[in-house]
Amino acid sequence: MIKKVKASLSEKFLLLFLITLGIFSFSFFFITKNKCFFVKKVDLEKIQFSKSENIVVMNVECGNVIIELFSNTSPNSVKRFKSLIEKGSYDRSAFYRVLKDTLIQAGDLEYGNIDNINYFKIGSGKSGLGNLQSELSNKYNFEEGTLALARRDGLNTEDSEFFIILKNIPLFNGEFTPVGKVIYGLDALKKIKSAAKSEYVLRPDYINYFKLLK
Amino acid sequence: MRLLLILLLLLQTNLLKANEINYLLNIPNLKTYKLNNANGLKYLNTYKNFRIGTNNNITCDKTTKELLKKKFPLIKKNLDIYKSEFLKKINLRFIVLCENLFISKINTAGIPDHKKRTLILDLNFNEKYFERVLHHEVFHIINDSFKNIFDEEIWSNFNNKEFQYAECSTCSDRLALNLYDETNGFLTEYSKSIPSEDMAEVYSFLITNKINIKNKSKKDLILFNKIKFIEDGINKIYNF
Repeated sequence: MIKKVKASLSEKFLLLFLITLGIFSFSFFFITKNKCFFVKKVDLEKIQFSKSENIVVMNVECGNVIIELFSNTSPNSVKRFKSLIEKGSYDRSAFYRVLKDTLIQAGDLEYGNIDNINYFKIGSGKSGLGNLQSELSNKYNFEEGTLALARRDGLNTEDSEFFIILKNIPLFNGEFTPVGKVIYGLDALKKIKSAAKSEYVLRPDYINYFKLLK
Repeated sequence: MRLLLILLLLLQTNLLKANEINYLLNIPNLKTYKLNNANGLKYLNTYKNFRIGTNNNITCDKTTKELLKKKFPLIKKNLDIYKSEFLKKINLRFIVLCENLFISKINTAGIPDHKKRTLILDLNFNEKYFERVLHHEVFHIINDSFKNIFDEEIWSNFNNKEFQYAECSTCSDRLALNLYDETNGFLTEYSKSIPSEDMAEVYSFLITNKINIKNKSKKDLILFNKIKFIEDGINKIYNF
């Protein structure tokens, strides 16, 4: 007759510990694999906009980002920005320059498209529409989520490239042309890939599509 | 091979920790020191030595607390005389504070960059001339922004025909900054280096020691013409 051996208390604890460890490891693996796991999804249909003509939607890996454009503050820059969105020029544009937790930059239409990226020339591309005059405003505060036009060199060298800041940067007040501000979905941008030792990113994340709400 | 090249390129150019100031000015290792000033100037402090420029030929060290505490009020007092409208016209916005500033291994009081609207200042520069030198460097920003107003050929023609400036400011041994008793067209030995340095010397004395040099110019026609040239030029910018 086989004698049934009862598990001791310590053996039961060990089993429980191993099961917990297994669940934890599995969850951890799953969560870390999916960087968008904790990003709250933005459902466009549930949001009401008062001035929908100034609302644009950027879709990135972790979801939708809703941006309100400042057509009164920077009229010429917003006009250019909207026209490029309308043409689909920003679709598949890479976030090639990322300062972790600080800012993300995209919009090089010549060398920054993910399908045809040129790492040697990225950041120097042109839209073919010429430079814009800077539209600076000392009254505008560069708060988290602000989208502004990037510059190639000094003032009045803005074209198609833009950046979005991920924290308040008062130093930028009056230094760049503010084009808009993220009103929903900033968390999705905070998950954009950055590099550990460089502000330039290899195999960068990119914009799936960018469209006007209306 | 191509990937390796890209990796090398990225490692070489961007090992420094990037922040928003570096993004804006292309100068690493800075943090904000004082942003809200009446004339819009933004002061930035160096927390770690940096190296910038072509072939990394510009170097400057981090500031020490004591020196910063001592020199900042002096700098602010001197730069506060410039109104925001004027600073906007001449393209000056950022003042970078650091110590032991060198360009191509030559110690210098300041390095102006009107495109980036930045003036890098060495807090350790000669105590005796420190305040005047601030205005000297501001003039370089003015001059770089308004080359057409401060024409070097017209300026050089004020001098005696036999006088020759050096090829460049750093390839001359005319470096002394003390004010001459007998001016003979030049306020300091450094004035004799190149036209733009001569102009900057006249401008800096006009700001810091106006009565004295105006008196000297009564007996020195060359100096008189130079002072008038600078004053007219500055007035043009005010009315620009």
